[in-house]
Amino acid sequence: MDSQDEETEVRAPTPAVDFVGVSKEYLVNGKPIKALASITLNVKEGEVAAIVGQSGAGKTTVLNLIAGLEKPSEGDVRVLGLDLATSNEHSLSTFRSANIGFIFQSYNLVSTLTAEENVELMMELAGWSDSGRNENLTAELLSMVGLTDRAKHLPAQLSGGEQQRVAIARAMANDPALILADEPTGNLDQKTGLEIVKLLLRLKGEKGKTLVVTTHDDRIVEMADVIYRLENGSLGSVDRPTRVRS
Amino acid sequence: MEVWGALIGPLGFAVNSLRRRGFHSYLAFLGLALTVATTTFLLLLGQDLATRLGIDSSMRSTFGISWLILAYLVLALALVSIVGLLSSSYLVSSMINQRMRDIGVIKAAGALPRRLLSYVTFEAFVVIFSSCLVGALSALLIYASWSWPSVSLFKQVGPVPNAGASVLIVVPLISFLLCYVVASVRVRRIVGSSSVNAISKQLYNLDLKSLGNPLRTKRFGSAFNLATRNVSRDRGFNRTLLSVGICIFLSTVVLSGALVSADTSTSYVVRAMPPHIIIVANINIYNQYVTLGTSFSRTAPIPSLDYVNESYMISRQNASAFRAIPGVETVDTRLMTMSSITGFVKAHFASNQDTGENINTQIIPEVDTGSAQALIVGIDPSNAIGDWYTSDGFLHSDARYTMIAGDSLVGNIVQMPLNLSQVSAFGFRYDVKSALVDPLNAGRVLYAPVQTVQQNLAVNGYNVLLLKVNSDPAVLSAVTRLASSFGLVVGSQDPILNSNLAFLNSTWSHIFLIPILALALTCGILLSYLATNFSRRFNDYVVLKVLGADVWYRLKLLLWESWGVLAISMLIAIPVAWAVSIFFLLPDPSVSVADLELSTLVSALALSSVSVASATIYSRRLGLTTVKDLKP
Repeated sequence: MDSQDEETEVRAPTPAVDFVGVSKEYLVNGKPIKALASITLNVKEGEVAAIVGQSGAGKTTVLNLIAGLEKPSEGDVRVLGLDLATSNEHSLSTFRSANIGFIFQSYNLVSTLTAEENVELMMELAGWSDSGRNENLTAELLSMVGLTDRAKHLPAQLSGGEQQRVAIARAMANDPALILADEPTGNLDQKTGLEIVKLLLRLKGEKGKTLVVTTHDDRIVEMADVIYRLENGSLGSVDRPTRVRS
Repeated sequence: MEVWGALIGPLGFAVNSLRRRGFHSYLAFLGLALTVATTTFLLLLGQDLATRLGIDSSMRSTFGISWLILAYLVLALALVSIVGLLSSSYLVSSMINQRMRDIGVIKAAGALPRRLLSYVTFEAFVVIFSSCLVGALSALLIYASWSWPSVSLFKQVGPVPNAGASVLIVVPLISFLLCYVVASVRVRRIVGSSSVNAISKQLYNLDLKSLGNPLRTKRFGSAFNLATRNVSRDRGFNRTLLSVGICIFLSTVVLSGALVSADTSTSYVVRAMPPHIIIVANINIYNQYVTLGTSFSRTAPIPSLDYVNESYMISRQNASAFRAIPGVETVDTRLMTMSSITGFVKAHFASNQDTGENINTQIIPEVDTGSAQALIVGIDPSNAIGDWYTSDGFLHSDARYTMIAGDSLVGNIVQMPLNLSQVSAFGFRYDVKSALVDPLNAGRVLYAPVQTVQQNLAVNGYNVLLLKVNSDPAVLSAVTRLASSFGLVVGSQDPILNSNLAFLNSTWSHIFLIPILALALTCGILLSYLATNFSRRFNDYVVLKVLGADVWYRLKLLLWESWGVLAISMLIAIPVAWAVSIFFLLPDPSVSVADLELSTLVSALALSSVSVASATIYSRRLGLTTVKDLKP
């Protein structure tokens, strides 16, 4: 390997998510239903990947496979270097709490915890036991999403947009390398959705996080480095708009 | 499946809703069916036991002891019924609460309240009806398969008429009606409340007052912190604590009541016939005394005997000779005889039942309460070895014509109140001073001052001596030598006591099935109750799983939540139950510390295992969930 190659190797982003020939089948009423058919995708560190497609195309299944919440029926899934297909549930849980942040369409905050407790919980799950540091970091994250004055409110006392901002703060709480967002603006109006998109852009720009987002929202698709289009469980097309733009 | 899916109307709504809720529907159904089945079975078993023990103890035992046993059974079965019925209503209430959001959504979508009410109530009806039916059938099957013939009591007593059919119908029917009423009221309240409240049920269910600084307790870790927040912020926490506390309290009263009753009945017998007592008498009187003493535990007839035959008499001098042996602590001199007695209620002024005030214008004449054969024992009150449980104290030497009646005579020959009762024996009238529990002649016994009996029978001396001696074997040898020089035999009272205690233990061993099964019933109920309560926070647990909470974290969280509620309830309910059992259940109760410790330990272990089981079951269930199970 010459020095030119070595330089290229160092500069090339390592894959955060690597799917090779991944298929997923479910049994529904005893009948096998193919949710994904031999998908190959590759998201590099620091990239924003948008997964688009109609409802039922398999977008959420892709996220579940990346998070290790489900195992593939066929193919290899490597996320941040870990082979998820061969990992047991304990190591998958540890992996998720340490490396992955989640943002759901329906926010899914823990209903009995206040906004700040929801954020802190993620730190506790990641094994961060310094409560003073956790407290400061929580205040910082809530300030980042503009919810300092709502820190002591329960999810049910917050609006949809506020809940989603808490969810974003929670997704950042364990300082994950990878953030998975499942239609994060799906339940929000245009204006609130825009705030969330701006926050996601900050995650990409300032924090350098890898984002995999399933979405129908064009504003999110526009900020993506790579767009995977799913059609009935198969990969329809892959776009790299940054290349087009450049 | 498709046929059901295509159904419309209340039945289609109920079937589809129950199918879609899957695990949570089964949980409610199983909890209710289990409660109805065990309550019905326990009542069937208790009724059968009560009938058999009643028949058995009418042939032996004493009225006081039989009454104590049957009263305990009645109390235990009443408490079991209350636990069963209360728990059923809690479970139904919890089941309906889970549906609050769905009801709110359907109402907000424009469903007519009346139609919604009928649909949701019908859904509850399906669960309640099917679980009561399955519960009743299961109880019948368990009861029928119970191997009665293998248990000695059942072999002994044989088939008995029982009212199993009425229990089998009444218990499930009352459970059904109660559950249905609770469900209807709860559904009506939810349908009638604001849709916003019902839809945002999480906020509705949370106690906002407890929101403050986040709790950070490092010692028990993150799962503990989260569990305390979940539990303390639950608006229904106090209600849950009360429900669980009542269940634990009632079942502990059943358990501790059995132990206190068993220990107390044993202590009554032991106090009447203390251990390590030596009997000295003529061989015929000795054999008769053994037969009379064991008539409490055996059904053999008492042979007739001329108790005051000259050859059976022990003179005062001979009795004093025993008293003079060093190491003899007490000599209880007795003159016993079997005689026909007649009972009377003395003439008295009528009194107001409520105030006890005499109504001077109305005199109730003397009433003859009948005649019977009874054992009359003349005894020296100052040297009596027995320490009987009595209602109003024992004899006094100076009250010559007074008697203490054995418990089996009370209620027929001797009527309450005792101060109006008299007994005629040997042609003389005796006032009844008090009643006592005594196994001698199965409680058909009267104690009177020995001098009075001697005068009435015109005899000098005694026919039985009971000796309390120290543990030196030389004393027993000296007593034996002296007795044989007078032509008397010596024996221990221990075999009589042991036979009576063995009978009592055997009786209680059958009855202990009830508290053990009642504890099992409570455990089963709490298991379903805790699991149903977990279902309310199902979404939160799935979120935690998705976020990376591993199996141990989830298990610890569920354990802290369930055990926390149980521990607080146990801490309050178990001591209160013990206090009630010890101070309010029986007169002059007795309970051993070992029994107290053992039963507390058993209850605590059984209930703690419930929290482990409920947490494990739910944790395994959570293991099967995916992010797709999250509710929007």
